[in-house]
Amino acid sequence: MTAISARNLSKYYGPIKALDKLNLEVPENVVFGFLGPNGAGKTTTVKLLTGFTHPTSGEAWVAGEKVGHGNLALKAITGFAPDVPAFYDWMSGLELLQYIGELNRLSPKEIKLRSAEVLVLVELDKAAKRRVGGYSRGMRQRLGIAQALINRPKVLFMDEPTSALDPIGRKEILELILRLRQNTTVFMSTHILSDVERVCELVGIVDKGRLLTVSTVSALQKKYARSVFEMEFTENAAGFVEALKKVEWLADVALDITNGKPLVHVRALEIEKARKELPHMIGESGLTLERYELTLPSLEDIFMEIVKSEQRQ
Amino acid sequence: MTGFIPLLKKELKEQWKTNKVLILSSVFLLFGISIPLSYKYMPDLLKLSKQPINITIPTFTAGQTLAGYAGNIGQVGLLVIVLVAMGAVATELRSGTAVITLSKPISYSAFINTKFLAMSLNIIFSLTVASLVCFAYTFWLIGSSDIISYIGMNLLLLVFLEFSLAVTLICSCLFKSSVACGGLSLGILIFQAIISSLPVIGKYMPGKLLDWGNNLLTGSNITYWWSLGIALALTFGCLVLAPQALKSKEI
Repeated sequence: MTAISARNLSKYYGPIKALDKLNLEVPENVVFGFLGPNGAGKTTTVKLLTGFTHPTSGEAWVAGEKVGHGNLALKAITGFAPDVPAFYDWMSGLELLQYIGELNRLSPKEIKLRSAEVLVLVELDKAAKRRVGGYSRGMRQRLGIAQALINRPKVLFMDEPTSALDPIGRKEILELILRLRQNTTVFMSTHILSDVERVCELVGIVDKGRLLTVSTVSALQKKYARSVFEMEFTENAAGFVEALKKVEWLADVALDITNGKPLVHVRALEIEKARKELPHMIGESGLTLERYELTLPSLEDIFMEIVKSEQRQ
Repeated sequence: MTGFIPLLKKELKEQWKTNKVLILSSVFLLFGISIPLSYKYMPDLLKLSKQPINITIPTFTAGQTLAGYAGNIGQVGLLVIVLVAMGAVATELRSGTAVITLSKPISYSAFINTKFLAMSLNIIFSLTVASLVCFAYTFWLIGSSDIISYIGMNLLLLVFLEFSLAVTLICSCLFKSSVACGGLSLGILIFQAIISSLPVIGKYMPGKLLDWGNNLLTGSNITYWWSLGIALALTFGCLVLAPQALKSKEI
């Protein structure tokens, strides 16, 4: 079943197309990474899907509910964790969750039970009675997720959930997201590629308000895998790199030094030609080859390639 | 108005925890105590001055003292209400707490109206305490006054303060900056005060409620029913329009 569905969803601010004709289907119980650089339209999409912003055109459904400002049924079955969650500093973490539980019309018994559950889930149970004003950034981020989970949402929207966290805080949040996907569809907007690689099954890449592709991370890696070659040599390979840069069916030629040895990365524009010709070129260079392989590209490589090819078009 | 009860509980707690009850009641109480004192001892204080002053200070009646108290609440008290209320929505919009609350199944009208109700209860509490103290102090220092007229004056003052609060709240929905909201609210309230001093049109302005209250205490029969009706209508209108203003604003 589809958790999120958008049809030609657009948001224009005068001549600026913050989001242009988004067509998207996200299945249930997956972590969907909505990936794009700053200003790509990620937050606009989240605001549209959560009903905070009116679309210029198009429509969307979340968990079967039509997205709209006044649809309280939609809000009852979704959760939203903003990028910088803000709370009433005079409340304790527990008080905040009880208040949110009341807003979600849970019974007093449910509120007590659910508050305790989510506090344990986000590892804030020991700080539950402390004032939120004294919480660290990471604790606030986790409380932001806890308040979004109190009503057992069918779909959880997370806007840049790790953008301002240190590596430890990021790791904790990502582990938490992995635990959530058993019962909830998570729509996570982010510009951090490694986060998507770690937790998302499905990824949508957006740039300049346009959705460029939707695929699984593994399918994207397969699709772009055969185009990246990696070669490790014993001797200085600077001359060879210069020669590769002149070859028209190669792109993104780069030289790194790993463990004191030159490592050449190259992306082939014509795969078959590269597979046939590159070994000859290495042989003719006179260099001693230590390793030669076609590598799986990182999501960052894929992202850059998709965005660049879109810009070329 | 879905979510009314939990929102009201939160707003009432917030009034208490953020010292808004203490601030408002202290300011009102200050006038409740200081006005009868100053009206009673002003001539004596002037006599103590070493400079020769050729002004005849009249002896104030209880009615004039209570009217003086109402006048101060209507001006300085109003300023404090604007200062306390101007960030009610604007601060929540700026800090992001409004996003957390409004992402839950609650109506925008409940979000606004509970703020109005909680602050109104704060105003009613502060006004009641200060008015009782002022009346008792005036009775003790100066003399008695007609309690029915005094209650009437306080009710009219309350309607005017509620109108001012509603204006501040709707302005708070329009801006993320509390200062901008406060500026606009004060601008509107000062503008209506200027208009209310004009002939013909003035009698329709909410500011005339303060004159009516004064009249009750000084024995004048001049009433301003239009002013009362318009103040109530504008207060209601602000409370209906404020959620719409917030809805049209993209959070």
